[in-house]
Amino acid sequence: MISTLTSLNLIIPFLYLITFSAYLIDFFYENRILINSKRIFLFITLFIHIFYLLLRTIEFDHPPITNKFEIFSVLAFSVSFSYFILELLTDIRRTGTFIIFFSLLFQAASSLFIVNDYVVPEVLRNRLLGLHVISALLGYSGITISAVYGLLFLLLYKNLKANRFGLLFNRMPSLETLEKLSFNSLMIGFVLLTIAIIIGIIWLPTAFPDFRYSDPKLIGTIIIWIVYGAGIASKFAANLYGRKVILFSLFGFVLTMLSLILTSTLANTFHSFY
Amino acid sequence: MNLIGISINHKTAPIEIREALHLNRDEIIQLIGKLKEDTFSEGVVISTCNRTEIFVFPKYYSLNIDTAVNTLLNLKPVAGIKKEYFNKFFSCGAVKHLFTVSSGIDSLIVGDSQILGQVKEAFEISEDLNFTGTISKRIFDHSVKVGKRAIKETAIGEGAVTVSYAAVQVVEKIFANLEKKSALVIGAGETAELAAIHLHDKGVGKITITNRTQSKAESLAEKVNGAVIPFTHFKEYIHNFDIIISATSANETILGFEDIRNEMKKRKGNPLVIMDIAVPRDFDPEVKKLDNVFYHDMDSLKIIVDQNIQKRKSEIPKVEEIILEELVNFFSWYNTLEVVPTIKSIREFFDEIRNDELEKIKHKIKDEDFSKIEDMTRRMIGRLLHNPTVKLRELAESGNNIQDITTNTIILKELFGLDKERNNGSDKDMNDEK
Repeated sequence: MISTLTSLNLIIPFLYLITFSAYLIDFFYENRILINSKRIFLFITLFIHIFYLLLRTIEFDHPPITNKFEIFSVLAFSVSFSYFILELLTDIRRTGTFIIFFSLLFQAASSLFIVNDYVVPEVLRNRLLGLHVISALLGYSGITISAVYGLLFLLLYKNLKANRFGLLFNRMPSLETLEKLSFNSLMIGFVLLTIAIIIGIIWLPTAFPDFRYSDPKLIGTIIIWIVYGAGIASKFAANLYGRKVILFSLFGFVLTMLSLILTSTLANTFHSFY
Repeated sequence: MNLIGISINHKTAPIEIREALHLNRDEIIQLIGKLKEDTFSEGVVISTCNRTEIFVFPKYYSLNIDTAVNTLLNLKPVAGIKKEYFNKFFSCGAVKHLFTVSSGIDSLIVGDSQILGQVKEAFEISEDLNFTGTISKRIFDHSVKVGKRAIKETAIGEGAVTVSYAAVQVVEKIFANLEKKSALVIGAGETAELAAIHLHDKGVGKITITNRTQSKAESLAEKVNGAVIPFTHFKEYIHNFDIIISATSANETILGFEDIRNEMKKRKGNPLVIMDIAVPRDFDPEVKKLDNVFYHDMDSLKIIVDQNIQKRKSEIPKVEEIILEELVNFFSWYNTLEVVPTIKSIREFFDEIRNDELEKIKHKIKDEDFSKIEDMTRRMIGRLLHNPTVKLRELAESGNNIQDITTNTIILKELFGLDKERNNGSDKDMNDEK
């Protein structure tokens, strides 16, 4: 089974590369064949990827969330899977390039550095941890997708204001649609992050003896959650539209990334077991 | 095939000449009557604001192409008309020209799909007047197919190519659901009307018209199921609209920066799209600096129009490929028709020989014997010609092996000297046969 896992580990980034290329070519050249077949590429990629993740779970007897590079692989899957669902629901097909790119990056990093022989701390085999990490990862996928659509919104907004009617103008859906996609992804991401935080707060004190509420990662996550929560609340309360909401979402994303990088590298936290 | 094509269009003649030669339905009917008199057996007359086209089959092979031009000019005499204003086509060239016209690549606005409907309508007029036949029907079926394939398989008809449609295209890039949006059209002239109709066609929820002359606004509002607000008060209602299309003939701006800034406060930042398609402009262009105000004037919309025209032009090679494919399809069918007159000719040729020989012995033998010889020779010729007739028919019906059909018919014609025998009006006979 290890050899199968090794082969799949090598194949999957190439599948993402092929899917990304299909989306990219269609974005630039409006290929009549690719407009439908690229979705099939994405489906096959996701199918093989989930098979790989399940196989890994069976082989190592724990969900693939026990080291950084396993998490990268789950993140790659969840970003593309979320996009796949969005594409099916909205039939907006030409934004995939910008989202699958993230999956390609995550999976490439995962495939390059993932190892099979390492010791998994007993605490990481807990099922509640699985739920905590998976909901957090899906939450991060949501806010990543939200940020991508937000960025596309801003680019299209600027193009429209500056009378630039190029590729983005021709390929993107309307500003209103991009805003909706960005906000809906953000909402899903926010709900999942909330679930992750709740599970974490309930379970972490019992699982980690050195748990403390002043933990930098916990504080960082709570700040992010408050920022997003305030943004969402003000959107509903003040009926905010467009650029302001998008800028808020992008600010939240940058803050999230900073928080993740800082707490994973610099800060001393009980979360740093990877 | 002796199809003749005559064309006067935007590429060959100035607009005054095209206008002078434009034919309405009644004039087309009249012209077809004249063409019938002037030795044409079937054909079609297409006339739009940018072109007049005549496609006709002469009854006889030796015919001057100018006859069709003269018939047209006799019906519609035009001062200053020159020979070079007319493009003339024959046979395959005429079919190709018709296909090119139907595809829209020969139109003033490349990819114009209206021409396809006009071609269909022209053919229907000819059909009603019994001025069509099997071949012309087949040619026009293929030309309609070319037009449909061009629209379906290429991007020749995609993108806005008029400023008012480009304005609507930009609106669609800002709002997702136009049903929930309201639009104000300022002005009721031709441009404003076109824009209002485009908005209506795109399903904009509420359209309101305002114009200095109230009656014109009411008339346009009726066309688009819209409402009217008085021109003197319209500024008070600006904040209620998501889209404003302005196309007045005012000499100075009617809405300034401060007006829109104040209205945007009332709109709580909800986006406002302003399409200023008036010359001179109706809005202060500085309004584009306001957040969530999308201001576009003629110049910016012209960028979209020019881009789309360029894009359509780049699709022409794909359409030309479709034209070529349909030409091949049509002539594959047409070439199979060659065998029918060949079979008929060869039978006539054998019968003539038989009759000649029978005539020679008719008075030399008894009637009873003559009758037996007559039967015997008929059966003999029947049996001799059975195999080649069946084989040729089979080839023709299969529609394949065009080369074989042509080769076989040529060999037969050469061997029996059929072309010499049937030199006079062979094409006329062929048409009659078909």
